[in-house]
Amino acid sequence: MIRRTVAIVVVVITALLLQSTIFADLRLLGVRPELLFLVTIVLALLEGPNEGAIVGFASGLAQDFLLNEPKGITALTLTLLGYGVGMARQFIVSPSPLLPTAIVFVGTAAGIAFQEVVSFLLGTFNHPVTYAVKVALLSAAYNAVLTPIVYPLLRRLSEGARPRKVARF
Amino acid sequence: MAVGRPRPRSTRLLVVGLVSASLAIITLDYRQGADGPLAAVGAQAQAFMAPLQRAVTTVTEPIGDFFSGLANLPSLQDENERLKRELADSQTQAARNAELQSDYQAMLDLLELKGTLDPTGVPAVVIGSGVSNFDWSITIDAGANDGVDVDMPVVTGTTDAPRLVGIVVAANPSSSEVQLLIDRDYRVGGELSVSGETGIVIGQGDDDLRMDLISPGTEIDIETEPVQVFTTSYEVGEATGLYPPNILIGSVSRVFEGTNEIQTAVSVRPAVDFSALEFVLVLRRGSEAGGSEG
Repeated sequence: MIRRTVAIVVVVITALLLQSTIFADLRLLGVRPELLFLVTIVLALLEGPNEGAIVGFASGLAQDFLLNEPKGITALTLTLLGYGVGMARQFIVSPSPLLPTAIVFVGTAAGIAFQEVVSFLLGTFNHPVTYAVKVALLSAAYNAVLTPIVYPLLRRLSEGARPRKVARF
Repeated sequence: MAVGRPRPRSTRLLVVGLVSASLAIITLDYRQGADGPLAAVGAQAQAFMAPLQRAVTTVTEPIGDFFSGLANLPSLQDENERLKRELADSQTQAARNAELQSDYQAMLDLLELKGTLDPTGVPAVVIGSGVSNFDWSITIDAGANDGVDVDMPVVTGTTDAPRLVGIVVAANPSSSEVQLLIDRDYRVGGELSVSGETGIVIGQGDDDLRMDLISPGTEIDIETEPVQVFTTSYEVGEATGLYPPNILIGSVSRVFEGTNEIQTAVSVRPAVDFSALEFVLVLRRGSEAGGSEG
């Protein structure tokens, strides 16, 4: 359990660091990826709704605390996103290797749209609709492109941090 | 994919708990703003991340320089592999040297600027940027321990042309958050170089800035000569603004003809290339002067 928690904390901090340093320069048409959305979706796919919600809440809160904006919106968004993706995964039966990429694209776009709507309702969203749509779609595309790299890494990490079963005779 | 067998009831309870916690955090932060306990936790988180960002930036910068050096290699089809490698090494080294020379010059300019503009100013290195696509900010490696405080203006450039970068919005012990001029929540008073008319310059994200509230009927002709926008020191009562006057904000790139009957508006291209920003100077006078915005 502790090993697993440490692994997730390391993943979240690494994602935050990469997003605020390297990916600040590596933008796709002016938009950077949303790595914490990507991490939440992939872990929800791998581990289910329970862990998806917990990772989403923790990573969202971590991002919120680094923003000079109202805190809690990203935590709310990623909690629901992690839970939703984890639940949806149980009902999607497809052997396609492209499935995680497609889910990451849809999940990221939907998550960002939800976050923008909540910010708008709180009166803190002052961006044009065209920019909001552009960010949602391009971030989703960027995350989808990164999925074939991130998904195997997180799967390996997730399996490595899982408690080993002991067979007793 | 290994999906564990769900226990719907406990999962639903967990999600309800986490959503409630998120809503409580939103409410608490909304009510208490920058003075609440959550803001203090945010400051701690930023202080924790700053050394890590500094380390990552230090490590990844030479790698970026290496790739940019390789990208600039000329075609060497007739050379053998050894010479190619040697040339690649030399080019990479030269690119690195040019980068170091450029950094050195930027720091010299900054020191000169500090001497003339604000001898007590705090030079700083950019170590990171904001984590959101909706937030235009940077993290610098100088904080409260260096004398940096909230609402201090941040500039870059030379003594001939100091250029406005933004304003400090959070000061942690060893790092600070700077809201960039292009952030959509940013506002600063500006003055046109030719007519002397004033207005409010507002950040527009990746697009050019917008300067509003210029007197209607003001003649702005950017075809005959460039029109630049500088900070202006407003005086409200006996207090002065946060920004020293005559810091370059940018150049007028477009005039919105006949905006309306009560104002004229223009687009302003920022003088700072925010994608290549490495060194900045935090001015301490703004805070000492106190007073009004812009």
